[in-house]
Amino acid sequence: MHNSKAHIWFIAPAIILMIIILIFPLFLAGGISFTDYNLGNKSIGWVGLENYDKMFNRKTYVKMIWATATYVIVVVPISVVLGLCAAMLLNSLRFGADIYKTIFFLPVMATLLAMAIAWEFTLHPTLGIVNSFLANGCGGVREFILGLHWLPWVDSQQSWYHVACANNMDFPYWLKQKNTAIWTICFIGIWQAFGFNMVLYLAGLTGIPRELYHAAEMDGAKSTWEQFKLVTWPMLGPTTLFVVTITTIRTFQVFDTIEILTKGGPSKTTYVMMYAIFEKAIQQNLTSIGAAITVVFIAFILILTFFQRYVIERRVHY
Amino acid sequence: MQTKEYIGESWKHGILIVGAILVLLPFYMMVSMSLKSQQEIQSISGGLIGAQEVQTFPVCVKTGYSEETCTTKPYIYNYWFAFEKAPIPRYLMNGVIVTFSIFIIQVLVALPCAYALAKLRFYGREFVFSMVLFCLLIPVHGIALPLYIMLAQAGLVDTYSALILPWTISVFGIFLMRQFFMTVPDELIDAARMDGMGEYSIVWKVMLPTAIPALLAFAIFSVVAHWNDYFWPRMVITGNRDLFTPPLGIREFRGGIDSDEFGPMMASIVTVTVPLIVAFIIAQKRFIEGITLTGMK
Repeated sequence: MHNSKAHIWFIAPAIILMIIILIFPLFLAGGISFTDYNLGNKSIGWVGLENYDKMFNRKTYVKMIWATATYVIVVVPISVVLGLCAAMLLNSLRFGADIYKTIFFLPVMATLLAMAIAWEFTLHPTLGIVNSFLANGCGGVREFILGLHWLPWVDSQQSWYHVACANNMDFPYWLKQKNTAIWTICFIGIWQAFGFNMVLYLAGLTGIPRELYHAAEMDGAKSTWEQFKLVTWPMLGPTTLFVVTITTIRTFQVFDTIEILTKGGPSKTTYVMMYAIFEKAIQQNLTSIGAAITVVFIAFILILTFFQRYVIERRVHY
Repeated sequence: MQTKEYIGESWKHGILIVGAILVLLPFYMMVSMSLKSQQEIQSISGGLIGAQEVQTFPVCVKTGYSEETCTTKPYIYNYWFAFEKAPIPRYLMNGVIVTFSIFIIQVLVALPCAYALAKLRFYGREFVFSMVLFCLLIPVHGIALPLYIMLAQAGLVDTYSALILPWTISVFGIFLMRQFFMTVPDELIDAARMDGMGEYSIVWKVMLPTAIPALLAFAIFSVVAHWNDYFWPRMVITGNRDLFTPPLGIREFRGGIDSDEFGPMMASIVTVTVPLIVAFIIAQKRFIEGITLTGMK
């Protein structure tokens, strides 16, 4: 056996950096959140839970929690389900799967900020191709399909599409309107995230032994849906748990699209936590409230991850 | 049965093609705008590339260039003027400097540590490893504010150090490399020791070469993440254009969305976005592997 002291030199830099860069900041954020400290101030005063009290009672911060929750609750399930559907579709194709895979993965790779701007123009009320596509379709097939006129309970004279056409092409200002902004931001989030989930699911699907499907067929599970319920879904349990956790953590951290497109508006409907930390602490120099938001933010993420670990150990192993 | 299968297959392609169009829509918009003239953009005409009529561009003349220089085809003008207006090569350079420094330091720190955790027996090893596992849970973006405060107190805001320092430790890198080193047979290391190699040489001359595949995946993950990162540079770089990374550059190009010409703006954005996308298309398999394998972060 060797008896050199080399290991000390090997692990020391990593330990020191972990303490300074990752662990100490946790305590720093925790500490500052109980004070009235602002960057540049000489004095620090203890204010106890005041910052947290503000966070859960002031309108702005309540809206922040709503916006963050809405974003996460919408983007996570949809992008996970879309990822799964895309993976299963690709897996059953005879040819061409690789092309779709590349295309669907592009948004994951591309600089999100640039793509946010590209979406801004695509959805622009006067310059964008989306609204011009809609305007050109008034009274035609597009109106029938997108106006949901094919649903029995939708009155074709009252559908959103028809009303917009009748009112001089009054289609939504997607990112500027209170009732559409957060959904548009969610849409961009889903657009960006589902390709990543798809690739993880594709990897998960290759791990399912063919024999299981044959066995399921023997047992009478003939239809695709029955086989999915009996084999695919349970076998993908660990993948799903992993995908959901990762997507949730990433989704919580949404910032780029908000900062460049909406700045948290209109009327704080897209005011998510990361943007709130940035705006309060950096732009308005309200460091202590920013620290309080940071603490809540990290608490959310830690709880989530512990929950995931717990579930992994208990359940998902079939 | 045959026909039924064909119908099923066509259905699937139909759905996937609609999806692909939706996914590609902003890419199309971006490229198309970077090629067309202002009038064509505003009237949403000209398809993907526009008519490409030679014309004189008023904004260019107003900026002080001669009429001759300003008379050209829209796509040439857009890209030429983009480079005239902003130091794009500088932004790209900064992107390269920052992402590569981060990656190199991450490896310098993580590799020896991973080796020690996987192959050396010493007092406190389990503790160090559990520390790594704990740190794995901390999202660096989440602790951005305290990190910013520390850097501000140290007077490091608006420097390269501010862009690089917080990312020098990649616990994920340590974890990944350790898992990889566990699979390397002990005999290899023992043989190296027999040959009289010191622990340092073992790390860099024996372990590093065996770790190339894992390292490559990690490199792709790290470079992509930091090349695209906007949040952190936005926090610590306040105004110094010389330090702008590509995403900060993108933000600057967008600047006056109502007054500016869209063509050159989109041309700059395309220029900054393209390198990574091209790299991805060339080395797709590796990229998908790298990003998903390390997606655990």
